[in-house]
Amino acid sequence: MSGFDFDVIERSLPYLFREGMTFTLTLTALAMTGGIVFGTLLAMMRLAAFKPLSMLAGAYVNLMRSIPLVLVIFWFFFLVPYIGAWVLREPNPIKVGTFWSALITFTMFEAAYYCEIMRAGIQSIARGQVWSGYALGLNYWQTMGKIVLPQAFRNMLPVLLTQTIILFQDTSLVYVISATDFLGAASKIANRDYRLVEMYSFVAIVYFVMSYGLSTLVRRLQQRIAIIR
Amino acid sequence: MNYNWHWKVLLEMEPGGTGTYLHYLLVGLLWTLATALAAWVIALAIGAAVGTLRTTPLKWAVRLGNLYVEIFRNIPLIVQMFLWFFVMPELVPQGLGDWIKQMPPPWGSYVPAVLCLGIFTSVRVAEQVRAGIQSLPRGQRLAGIAMGLTEAQTYNYVILPQSFRIILPPLTSEFMNIIKNSSVALTIGLLELTGRARAMQEFSFRVFEAFTAATVIYLLTNLAVVLLMRAVEKKVRVPGLIAAAATPQAGH
Amino acid sequence: MISMNNVSKWYGSFQVLTDCSTEVAKGEVVVVCGPSGSGKSTLIKCVNALEPFQKGSITVEGISVGDPKTNLPKLRSRIGMVFQNFELFPHMTVTENLTLGQVKVLGRSIGEATEKGLKLLERVGLLAHKDKYPGQLSGGQQQRVAIARALSMDPIAMLFDEPTSALDPEMINEVLDVMVELAKEGMTMMVVTHEMGFARKVAHRVIFMDAGRIVEDAKKEEFFGTPRSERAQQFLSKILHH
Repeated sequence: MSGFDFDVIERSLPYLFREGMTFTLTLTALAMTGGIVFGTLLAMMRLAAFKPLSMLAGAYVNLMRSIPLVLVIFWFFFLVPYIGAWVLREPNPIKVGTFWSALITFTMFEAAYYCEIMRAGIQSIARGQVWSGYALGLNYWQTMGKIVLPQAFRNMLPVLLTQTIILFQDTSLVYVISATDFLGAASKIANRDYRLVEMYSFVAIVYFVMSYGLSTLVRRLQQRIAIIR
Repeated sequence: MNYNWHWKVLLEMEPGGTGTYLHYLLVGLLWTLATALAAWVIALAIGAAVGTLRTTPLKWAVRLGNLYVEIFRNIPLIVQMFLWFFVMPELVPQGLGDWIKQMPPPWGSYVPAVLCLGIFTSVRVAEQVRAGIQSLPRGQRLAGIAMGLTEAQTYNYVILPQSFRIILPPLTSEFMNIIKNSSVALTIGLLELTGRARAMQEFSFRVFEAFTAATVIYLLTNLAVVLLMRAVEKKVRVPGLIAAAATPQAGH
Repeated sequence: MISMNNVSKWYGSFQVLTDCSTEVAKGEVVVVCGPSGSGKSTLIKCVNALEPFQKGSITVEGISVGDPKTNLPKLRSRIGMVFQNFELFPHMTVTENLTLGQVKVLGRSIGEATEKGLKLLERVGLLAHKDKYPGQLSGGQQQRVAIARALSMDPIAMLFDEPTSALDPEMINEVLDVMVELAKEGMTMMVVTHEMGFARKVAHRVIFMDAGRIVEDAKKEEFFGTPRSERAQQFLSKILHH
């Protein structure tokens, strides 16, 4: 090894963060939002009294949780152009950029995990809460939206956030479809300048600092919630 | 959707000439399992040790255990994979580094992948082991000690056997995770199941046949693991002792 | 046999025991009582060093418990202990519970240990349950097994930490009967309990604790006849009149 070259890191900082980290963080934030919304709907479906609905949601969640994320990324990378063509009534598969492909993948994939968290959250709310909602004359959506979900969401907030930190780390797997996320950007520099040791060590440190910082925040939040309860 | 399925492709010869595409994928499954099992041994051994250490009154051991867990929990798996594959051989003494780099395929990818997955998963096992131990009533340890057992004997005969029964369900899902996570090893050139499905797609242009086949194989593997673990759980089940239901946990 | 001298203990800055001194002679049965939080459970856990203490000394047959050079596992193996929540090992059968300590600590052979264990099991009337797991037994049965487990180590003294307070009322007597029998055979016993009937029947002395101090330490007759401290009088009247 020909000495550690800090210079390559310094030179590429703007590219790494402006291009790479922006991609990573945008993807994380949007996939989290979409994933939680879709995941909550899935959770409500799984808990629905109407059997076909709960079975459908259950099958989706179990399928997503049974196959590797890398395979799911490949699936959607090739599938989304076909679905797009079908939706837009185009004769041929449409072109979809890696960002949109990744966003759809992670929203669909993480929804399965957020679903299980929200399902546990909904189930942790005492039945009496639901009954008292109905007793007031609220309908299903009002009872869910005003009474059950806010409580479930608050109870599960630390777990939801921990899952989001995992999502943040997992977005690095878009490497397999050659997207320019933080890791992808670093990898491009690493291979261009043949500085793999420097770049990958730097990437590891940045991810560590960010994940560790976030999980420390989540832990604090958890303690505060525990006190309030 | 406009896609012409062509399932017979599975029975066509793959370009390497080793057999049909189906055979090619199944060999991939074997590599997936070989990677997962070897990594699982490492994960269980280190995970049990680190998880146990973190419940002892030894302050330095607890701190060391926490450091270990935080490091390998907060770096994405694929980045760890690159660290083991690209960085580690450069940081060890040159002779050893050269030896690692000259390992013939697929071992040059297999060994780093196993180490990486084993250590990555050991952190998650350690967390489960610690939680399992801490979920036992404090009196169990006291009862062992009061009887004259040493701390080590108390762990060995009283605490660990109970903890492992309690955490068997979460450990099962960790094992399934390791099978799934082994697909990340394709990024360092290991042709396991997902890697071979991707390669098959590139050779044959049959995208969805390749991925469907891989998906079905993963689902069947999961089913086999679930059935196997259910049998294990039944075998070690203790009448009157209820294993803790798996609590919701963030994961992937 | 057991001798405590000015034992004091703190949890952080909170003092749980203050200058506790007492003696338990061979063959003596001493009942320790007092309101909850008075430190009585902590006190008897100090005897076999399950709880460390910061000041004073405890000796068991002349061996100092607090001395760092003392072989604690060996000392503990000679003192039987029965816990409030039984603490049988739920993953082992009743017989395995009875033989674990004998084999691993005393080095007895499995055959010898099993024979001893089964004999004790018969004595507490549970031989028929030898192959069951603790989770399959009632609370009273579990506590009787726990007593047999402690006896299997041939202890020179027995410590009981509220042995009946986790039990349903209808099971209390089956456990107390075993303890009474044990007392009548001359076992040295220190018993933390609220069961004053038991104390009247077999205790030689009663220790009353309050706020981490030994307030009263008297012969049974004296204690029940004319307790000196007001706190003990209040406690007795509360416990006896309802």
